[in-house]
Amino acid sequence: MDLKTLKKQESKRKISKGYMWALFCAVFWGIWYLPGTVVWVLNPFDNMLSAITTTHGDATALVVTAVLITAFNALTVMLALILWNGVLGKFGELTRTLKEFNPCSKWFFLASIFGGPVAILGSFIAMGFIGGAFAAVAALLYPVVGSILAYYWYGEKISKRAAMGIGVIIIGGITIFGGGLLTEISSGNVPWIGYLGGLMAAAGWGIEGAIAGKGLDISEPDAGLTLRFLGENIIWWIIIVPILAIFGFPMYSYALQAFEPLTLLVLIFAGITFGFCYVCWYKSFPLIGVGRGQGIGNLYGLMAIIFIFLFFGNVPQWTILVGGALCMIGSFVMFTEETSALETLRGE
Amino acid sequence: MGNRPIKFRILELFLDGKEYWNYEIVSKIQQEYGMNSNYGRDSINFDIIELASGGMLKDLEQKVDEGGIYKKDFLLHKYVITDFGRSRGSDACLRNA
Repeated sequence: MDLKTLKKQESKRKISKGYMWALFCAVFWGIWYLPGTVVWVLNPFDNMLSAITTTHGDATALVVTAVLITAFNALTVMLALILWNGVLGKFGELTRTLKEFNPCSKWFFLASIFGGPVAILGSFIAMGFIGGAFAAVAALLYPVVGSILAYYWYGEKISKRAAMGIGVIIIGGITIFGGGLLTEISSGNVPWIGYLGGLMAAAGWGIEGAIAGKGLDISEPDAGLTLRFLGENIIWWIIIVPILAIFGFPMYSYALQAFEPLTLLVLIFAGITFGFCYVCWYKSFPLIGVGRGQGIGNLYGLMAIIFIFLFFGNVPQWTILVGGALCMIGSFVMFTEETSALETLRGE
Repeated sequence: MGNRPIKFRILELFLDGKEYWNYEIVSKIQQEYGMNSNYGRDSINFDIIELASGGMLKDLEQKVDEGGIYKKDFLLHKYVITDFGRSRGSDACLRNA
């Protein structure tokens, strides 16, 4: 076999594998909104929400319940990732990476602050207050935050094409948020916290991506992601949950009640889908380039809407559909310009 | 037995500025970390691919592995460290040196 055919073969293999990982990421990420929405109506979270509502009011109850749900999500994601590392035989690498606090772990822990208490908490709040489709589609704004941050932080240039993509995504975002708001303002009942949750998801994931990249580019993503979730577990279970308990919220008694078969099953389902969507995402980058990986990963918005329709029979408002479509078009415009990785793959 | 993350060690090997074929690096890491299976070999090679896609290594040239020195009838790649790789690598790797 000659060099040319082999090169073609290798690049074909890389590209098809890369697209496969990216698509898996989109599917897992989209499915995650199912357990994320369902968990709100399961005990103990359902009881917790109504009990705290009577003592502290709606908004507090929602945020505190969302904290406990997010904490459990982080726990099950970490368990899924530890299992994954075990299967891959990467415990050794995991320990080696953990020990490198300065160049590596530091960034994962910092990233987990924005990923966990901002993005994932925000997503759960948006799911609880407004709905899964809104939560999914609102988070599609994250590349805007990420690239603006990269512009100010590392002086990364925003090309014309990327700016165009950002513009389309922002119009999509206005449609998603504005459409719902208009109907609700006219009915006089605006779930502001839900919208805030949607913005937190977009901002948090944008910031997380920019920070985590600094550690991930010099570590193995399987190990790096596990550490990022280790960080998030520390934040929830060692800092925030105890603080809320000190303030008198019955966190532990509800947490213990979560060990019920159905609730546990839904939480584990959330952990598996969320954990693997991250893993698949990072696996796709070296194969098809970060740009295409993210562009295809963002199809999760579409997947989420499809799965929510299939399982719950909910058709989202047309503004969410139009806005989500705009965000996806925008992310393709924005990301697919970065062709360097593919060009070298295809280089003849 | 290697005690730093594998990608750190790979960058460290490239920090001398020389060009290396992937099989040279892979077999060295396999030895150092006791990863002698085919799975270990492929996973180290994927680390190299990731470093290259992250812009830290540059893929210079390819040749067909005719003699089966790495994987028979697959492509071999030759890499060199980039400026970005050098700065990331020296941040991460030379701290304890």
